[in-house]
Amino acid sequence: MMAGSVALPLMLGGYVGGACLALVAPSSRAARYITALGAIVGSVAALAVAARVLVTAQPLVLTVPNVLAAAGGLVLSVDPLGAFFLAVVALGSLPAAIYGVSYTAAYEGRSSLQFFGLMFNVFLLGMSVVACAGNIFTFVLAWELMSLASYFLVMTEADVVETREAGLWYIAMTQFSLVTLLPMFLLLAPGAERTAFADLRVGAAHLTPQLRGIVFLLAVVGFGSKAGVVPLHVWLPRAHPAAPSHVSALMSGVMIKLGIYGVIRVAFDLMNGGPPWWGGLLLVVGSVSALLGVLYALMEHDLKRLLAYHSVENIGIIIIGLGAGAILHSYGLQTLATIGFAAALYHTLNHACFKGLLFLAAGNVVHRTHTRNMEEMGGLIKQMPQTALLFLIGSAAIAALPPLNGFASEWMVFQALLAGTSIPRPEVALGFPVAVGMLALASGLAAACFVKAFGISFLAMPRSAHAADAREAPASMRVAAWMLAGACILLGVGASVVVPALYRVLESVGGLVVDPQLAPAPGLWIEAPRALGHLSPVLIAALLASIVLVTVVTVHRVHRRPLRLSDTWGCGRIAQTPRMEYTASAFAEPLRRVFAELYRPTQDLTVSVHPDSPHFVQSITFTSEVRPWFEEVLYDPIVRAGRLIGVGVRRLQTGSVHLYLVYVVAALMAALASVWWWP
Amino acid sequence: MQLFSKIWRVGLVTEPVGPTDVEAVEIGRALDQRIKTLFGRALAIREVDAGSCNGCELEITGLTNPIYDMERFGMHFVASPRHADMLLVTGPVTRNMEIPLRKTYDATPDPKFVVSVGDCAKSCGVFADSYAVVGPVASVIPVDVHIAGCPPEPLDILRGILHALDRSDRQPQATR
Repeated sequence: MMAGSVALPLMLGGYVGGACLALVAPSSRAARYITALGAIVGSVAALAVAARVLVTAQPLVLTVPNVLAAAGGLVLSVDPLGAFFLAVVALGSLPAAIYGVSYTAAYEGRSSLQFFGLMFNVFLLGMSVVACAGNIFTFVLAWELMSLASYFLVMTEADVVETREAGLWYIAMTQFSLVTLLPMFLLLAPGAERTAFADLRVGAAHLTPQLRGIVFLLAVVGFGSKAGVVPLHVWLPRAHPAAPSHVSALMSGVMIKLGIYGVIRVAFDLMNGGPPWWGGLLLVVGSVSALLGVLYALMEHDLKRLLAYHSVENIGIIIIGLGAGAILHSYGLQTLATIGFAAALYHTLNHACFKGLLFLAAGNVVHRTHTRNMEEMGGLIKQMPQTALLFLIGSAAIAALPPLNGFASEWMVFQALLAGTSIPRPEVALGFPVAVGMLALASGLAAACFVKAFGISFLAMPRSAHAADAREAPASMRVAAWMLAGACILLGVGASVVVPALYRVLESVGGLVVDPQLAPAPGLWIEAPRALGHLSPVLIAALLASIVLVTVVTVHRVHRRPLRLSDTWGCGRIAQTPRMEYTASAFAEPLRRVFAELYRPTQDLTVSVHPDSPHFVQSITFTSEVRPWFEEVLYDPIVRAGRLIGVGVRRLQTGSVHLYLVYVVAALMAALASVWWWP
Repeated sequence: MQLFSKIWRVGLVTEPVGPTDVEAVEIGRALDQRIKTLFGRALAIREVDAGSCNGCELEITGLTNPIYDMERFGMHFVASPRHADMLLVTGPVTRNMEIPLRKTYDATPDPKFVVSVGDCAKSCGVFADSYAVVGPVASVIPVDVHIAGCPPEPLDILRGILHALDRSDRQPQATR
């Protein structure tokens, strides 16, 4: 009891202290260390809070009623679901904080690190409190702290035009999210005085089915735009590359997961789940996000944008799990539904680890090569062996290769989808195989994409002077990434321990009924009920390890032969230059042709020849772009309309004080009239 | 339809295979025996054109035609020196091919044989002293056996390969 009651204030204190002290730090160097110290204290305390709540399954409550008492005051109430997401936040924050110490050194003299430290800690505070919030006021306050602080973090390199554009997209999307979330909460709240989540649960029970549907739609749109589901994903590929790498790791690994948290909290905890179309909507949104995310990722040659699109894909996978769970739940198949929800939670945790790891490893590369363009990297495995290994572990995890964590959770998502055959309505059950197909295609393409990302960036010969001169990243950056790599391996191998723990978390979600049979003592196997399948990551890991061991022993001990080392056979080629290498564009070209309908690629080939003879080519310029028709179709009209309205409204603002006085009087009259008319 | 009518109209245009070349079969059998004792499996040959006029290549190609058909005696040409037991090098070594030839030799796993084919490979023939020529094959990589002729006939080449294998006092690969 003591540990918990101390840890929660310690967490808040760590973040707030880190934020305030960083702001008054005497030098940039001091600011870097103070920022990290505050964040480390905060996240370790957050881990302690989460661990305590998860172990005891007792909610931990902290109230500060005096802050804005009219709105209900600050209420922190950590239940197991919140604790799970708090753990995800802390698991991402701790390595990011350590990583930031060295990474932000590059910004010294370029942007204010004191301000950065303030915003970094406020961002972490906001994310942690979102997971702990116990009433609407606390939730919305933390949500806005998180959103605004992350906006300022994205704008760290505000001297770059692209960053400013990315910031604009991000702030617009994040405020759009708030605009939909506020009415959602207002609809849920039974009265102005009763805004605690417990009251909302009561309020939700009295809503008509139509209103519940509207609340659900608002939640999907509002939380979905934060989570980055298609078509609300447009800010991710802009904001993630623009932000410093450890901030990208946090935004992509952790912040977007809070959108998932919101959907689970509102739809399944506060409203106890709903009709089948809720799950159907989630399944469709998830499948489309998963497939489109990975398809756009394949076309990206900017390492961090590629990772950002993969976040869209993985959010899609998580939502597929949620959707499958929700449909099964609405047909009363509680045991199978639990698998879907557990798969979603598991993939949430796993994605936080491997996406964080990939962004940190990509950050190492960007830090040393000063470019995000994969076509200018290459050969980094020789200069940065550890970073290469880290990136490889992350790639294998995100490509769902056993025995890493991505494999275990995608396996569970598949199990939840295969369980769809138990649904009594064939027209609903038919949607599941389609989702299986889309998810399978997405996972296959994800593997192809990471073959590209790793192969082009780290293998072969350096394609630019920057890549040739790259050195291994500083120790603190490597240590931070190794922490996440270790988590990836542990979460994968220890899946049979993690999954029962996730069932325990789901027990706390109001609308779900968890079959006690589902949570057996942790053993070697993860079982899916009704003998759909079972999996033992431990045994797979042991098998893989033994294969490697046998090979090594055979080669080096048993089959002893004198070795003669020579060059790789290159067909007798005399000189090889980086220009002969396979490029990322070339690797993705076949898929670009297959999916040309989606990409609508534009090509521009300019050949300039010698003025005297067309046979002497002087230069060839090839540019090709994938048309973002999503934005053209969906967002451009909105932007144009907004601009039109803006131009119209500008006419009101003439600069004449007299006219403004007329406006004031008119507004006053209108207000009085309205009071008189509708008493 | 046009195709079938054409086949019907034209009929067979290949000449009938002549009487079997008894000598080729004899040499082939001997090769087969020797290859089996030396390697216990087929002999894989990688042909390297180090700058030849392609006369020797024509004759080497003849080894795979229906008359000689060397594959029946357990010899075949492979596409990479990594798979080869024997290099068959033709032509004077040109400047452009000097390093690739060395690399090919280096890439061929031990134990290996090198057979140079044609007069040019021995003495550079009419290309001797050309600015583009480095020298005979033996000046670039060690050669086991040389097959004379401009170009040597397929039978000569078979004899040369047999000679290279016979001359070798190497036992099957385990000793090396």
